[in-house]
Amino acid sequence: MSQFKYLVIYLSLLVALVLMILPLPDWVQIYRPNWIALTLIYWSMALPKHVGLWFAFITGIILDTSLGTLLGQHTLALVIIIFINQNFYQRIRVLSLAQQAIYILVLLLIDQVVVAWVEGILGRPTPLLAFFGAPFIGMLIWPWVFVVLRDIRRKALVR
Amino acid sequence: MKTLLQARGASFQAAFLIVFCIAMMVVDHRFHHLEIVRSNISLALTPLRYLVSLPATGGNWIGDWFTSHTELLNENEALKDERRILSARLQKLEILAEENARLRNLLGASRTIADDVIVAELLSVDQNPYRQLIEIDKGSSDGIEIGHAVIDDFGVMGQVIHVNPQSATIILISDPEHAIPVQFIRSGTRSVAFGRGSTRQLELRYLPATADIMVDDELVTSGLGGRFPPDYPVARVTAISEDRVRGFVSVLAEPKARLDSSREVLVIKPSE
Repeated sequence: MSQFKYLVIYLSLLVALVLMILPLPDWVQIYRPNWIALTLIYWSMALPKHVGLWFAFITGIILDTSLGTLLGQHTLALVIIIFINQNFYQRIRVLSLAQQAIYILVLLLIDQVVVAWVEGILGRPTPLLAFFGAPFIGMLIWPWVFVVLRDIRRKALVR
Repeated sequence: MKTLLQARGASFQAAFLIVFCIAMMVVDHRFHHLEIVRSNISLALTPLRYLVSLPATGGNWIGDWFTSHTELLNENEALKDERRILSARLQKLEILAEENARLRNLLGASRTIADDVIVAELLSVDQNPYRQLIEIDKGSSDGIEIGHAVIDDFGVMGQVIHVNPQSATIILISDPEHAIPVQFIRSGTRSVAFGRGSTRQLELRYLPATADIMVDDELVTSGLGGRFPPDYPVARVTAISEDRVRGFVSVLAEPKARLDSSREVLVIKPSE
């Protein structure tokens, strides 16, 4: 039973992964928010004991495989932001959704910097609009992600 | 190992994972040892890919279902006409192929003409938005291997870079990291066409200023390097710019293949 109740975490990450690779028109694509990062940040705030660095690592490897990026590129970014989040989540959890959203923007930008650095080393510069666009959209949808995942968590009785 | 690391605290764990990620990226970039990890995870995620491409496939299917009778008749008629024209051309081509083979025999040269072909369909999966990669629904279980050339009905599209049992990833000729050896049909000049990250443009750099090139020249694969079979159409020259200072010419060309809209592709298995 105790294993079974965490199923909702895996399911939400699976949905996030589908949203990450769902085909979109080219001009929308660069604004695609990092669903995996948002979902992972939520669970690491809600269940920090269960969703930690190793969880981020394995999720990252799966994400890198599905996106066709270097193995370790998104993994590194996710491990770093989850590590930062582990040190701050207790202070952030009590803030209002709007204040949380700004913190999320910072985390998503850090994630984006890591990914863009690796892209840059490989000789593929990230366009400026794409660099800031996706984290900004991620910030805007955070309150929604938070409320939906919180309701799901309460329904599934995961504490 | 996990418990050992946990005992050392989160910072130690994080540092270990960060170093590990960086090492993994280097290995993945330089060598091919991680290909097996990639293909196993991909295999596990295959159902997900099909799920994601379902809306597009479903849309096509519904479109097919509602195609009216008259439309089908018209299409049938048009296809019959096309078939007639094509078979007429084919007759000529067969004679030419025969003649070509005879002449080659006379010259003592040998070159296989027929290539083995696998028909595959695209899975609509978006990958890294800054790269030009596509995914197809055939994989190593259908005989596809890394390095096989991929074409559509108009020209060369790219080559296979990752293979999983049920799917394969193709790098398009327009990817910034891709280069394809080409030859101008008219003048016979050989060069290499680089991708620029846009599906409508290839670039040929550092051609000598004296090279005989004109706008609308056709480019075909030269077969050098052994990756792409020779004489498949690649692109058409759209612009020529001269660098007088350095004495080079760089050429822009438009790919013949419909890189952004083809749904069915052909994977060419080189004949041994």
